[in-house]
Amino acid sequence: MTNRLSVFIDISSYLTGFGAVDLHGTGMGPTYLATVEKATSAETLSFFFETAAQILRTGAGDESAINAMIAADLFPVSCFGGLAQNIILMWYTGQWPPAVAASPSLAQARNISPDAYVQGLVWTAADTHPPGAKQPGYGSWASPPLGTR
Amino acid sequence: MESEIFDVVIVGSGIAGSVLAKTLTQAGKRVLLLEAGLQAGAELRPEEAFATYQHYVETFHDKAIPATNGPYPDIPEAPSPNVLQIQAATPYYTGYLVQKGPLPFASDCLRAPGGTTLHWLGNVPRMLPNDFKMKTLYGQGVDWPISYEDLVPYYELAEREIGVAGDVAAQRGPDMGRDDYGADYVFPMLEIPPSYQDQVWKLRSQNLTVMLDGEPYVVDCVSMPQGRNSIPNPRYRPGAIVWDKQIGRFVIDHETPTYPVTGSLWSPYTGERCEGNASCVPICPVQAKYNALKTLKKADQRRLTIVTQAVASKLLIDRQTGEVTGIEYKRYRSLEDPTYETHTATGRLYVLAGSALENPKLLLASDAANSSDQVGRNLMDHMVMLAWGLFPEKVYPYRGPGCTTYIPTFRDGAFRKDFAAWISPLDNWGWSWPTGAPGSDVSTAVGTLGLFGKALRDYIADRVTRQALLHFECEQLPEPDNRITIDPQYIDVLGNPRPVIHYDASPYMRKSFAAAKKVATQIFAANGIEDFTEYKPSDADYVTWEGNGYTFEGAGHIVGTHRMGNDPKTSVVKPSQQCWDHPNLYLVGCGNMPTLGTSNPTLTMTALTFMAAESILKQLEGVRQ
Repeated sequence: MTNRLSVFIDISSYLTGFGAVDLHGTGMGPTYLATVEKATSAETLSFFFETAAQILRTGAGDESAINAMIAADLFPVSCFGGLAQNIILMWYTGQWPPAVAASPSLAQARNISPDAYVQGLVWTAADTHPPGAKQPGYGSWASPPLGTR
Repeated sequence: MESEIFDVVIVGSGIAGSVLAKTLTQAGKRVLLLEAGLQAGAELRPEEAFATYQHYVETFHDKAIPATNGPYPDIPEAPSPNVLQIQAATPYYTGYLVQKGPLPFASDCLRAPGGTTLHWLGNVPRMLPNDFKMKTLYGQGVDWPISYEDLVPYYELAEREIGVAGDVAAQRGPDMGRDDYGADYVFPMLEIPPSYQDQVWKLRSQNLTVMLDGEPYVVDCVSMPQGRNSIPNPRYRPGAIVWDKQIGRFVIDHETPTYPVTGSLWSPYTGERCEGNASCVPICPVQAKYNALKTLKKADQRRLTIVTQAVASKLLIDRQTGEVTGIEYKRYRSLEDPTYETHTATGRLYVLAGSALENPKLLLASDAANSSDQVGRNLMDHMVMLAWGLFPEKVYPYRGPGCTTYIPTFRDGAFRKDFAAWISPLDNWGWSWPTGAPGSDVSTAVGTLGLFGKALRDYIADRVTRQALLHFECEQLPEPDNRITIDPQYIDVLGNPRPVIHYDASPYMRKSFAAAKKVATQIFAANGIEDFTEYKPSDADYVTWEGNGYTFEGAGHIVGTHRMGNDPKTSVVKPSQQCWDHPNLYLVGCGNMPTLGTSNPTLTMTALTFMAAESILKQLEGVRQ
């Protein structure tokens, strides 16, 4: 794994509230990093990753310290063109940038890829699965989801 | 094709056209089926059917807002309406429908092999006996020329064909009960299990008394019959639907020992049960949900000729006898290439089996069947008012079929003299319809509330899991000025007319929105649901009644533009569904329905189609009717 991908996954973990293993498990990490790299100027990207790496290094695993630094130096839309917020939306919805805002019409709005939709974290966060994929089986909807009972 | 004479030429391969293609070919008739959609969609062999369908599923996963028609090809040569193009300000001319207003028509259908059953939800409640007598009982709309009792045997055929899963004993409500189905009748498959959230709803809603205009109504929650596969009911007497020439009726031949569940087009072992994809609309990835291609595949293929990419453009008519002499159609090359050749299909009888938008369009373009001036009039839909809020506890929506339980309480009653009846499905898919949830919840949490990390995840886990949606499908009445017309100004790439729509919500409808909102408020209060419903003047179909605003959505239940009746002066087809004006032309589909009732119309329309198939076979065989 490249250093940049490693930083991307680690900072994404703090941004999304999902563990690094969960993020790796989606299989989307390299695709999402490439998406970010393609859509962002080299200069902004470099500042973003420097800041992210520094936050991770300084925080040294202290979650509340890291969150405070993210809130101050990474999350605001004024930082790096709102990159951090778009990264969160990408992990949750599989879209870059939020497709509806970026597309000429609703009908033309696209996800990053069909897989990106299927791997959207919003469904996991909501204790369900993406409609039309990862189907939980006949009658599963009659009980609370597995893991919540 | 020109040189061949078929017994019957059918336009459209949706559920009506497919039921006819199956029943007529199995009864020994030679059928030509013209379908406007792409050839790939009509491939019924396993490998090709799988490839096409996987492409649909992938397109669904690719589109950020797939809506109802998103997974399917958008064909310039045979356009379909798109609900994502609906605008508040009428008139407008973009998109397929020409919306003259004053309100935009908000429903769509699909022009593709299999028709709108590809994206339908699959709810199949029967209409109520009183729905057929609206004029007599309530002084509203019109009576049907047939009764509920007349339709019962055909409902049974339709439920057999679709493969209905449900509990007959649960079909209660005003004007509906076990006797209306018959003491021994069961659906082919057992009920689809009710969702977890249905069970929470029922705790505080079952037998709840709500007040409306000073009258008490007791809320009931009952299981929704559905066209999707569950467990075969051992008490169902299975069998094939066969044409009994002697008595001139379809009968169910009870030879088969167990009900044969129909799986996907590509494998009988895929889609044998609903797998909980929670995406019935717009697409069931495993085809556990019924679609009309399953019926089409059961046709006797030796007697069936399907011509795709064939858009019917004109009926040729002998003006002396009224006989249809052929159907002119334009066969285009491909999705990308609208170059076409014009052909004429000929047969002994002709059937238009398009939607209630396409059938009247073709009739009007052909100056056909319209001595009553009713073609294109009485366009109806369920006007759907939504109410949404947050449960106090987690109910885990976004799981299971779209609806597993409904409230029948306001489907019938003396109030129908004053305002529209409605059916209230309990929705299993959270706020996805009104707000675009859960994506909109993520945007709000991040962009507005400034949440990230575990706080964001906790917010989604708390909020999305508590989303409740109740909806009110209000029965629109037939009105002559809610109509489809055509205008040479507005044509598609093949030069065929686009539907020009005039549409409005009458006081009878607006009053029902106000009544339904009062009921929603009481049900929400009893459930401790915090109300988040918001109707905005900027909404496409925002209307006011007595100073308050309401928004309705389209239900996709497009009905009523060539209604049946006993009087040629006020109806387009006879009860046999033969046109009054043309002895060899039948119309089938939702356009034949004189009124809508509060049922999703597909089941009733399919029952009517079996009735039409009998009339067609009797005419072909020279039986007096």
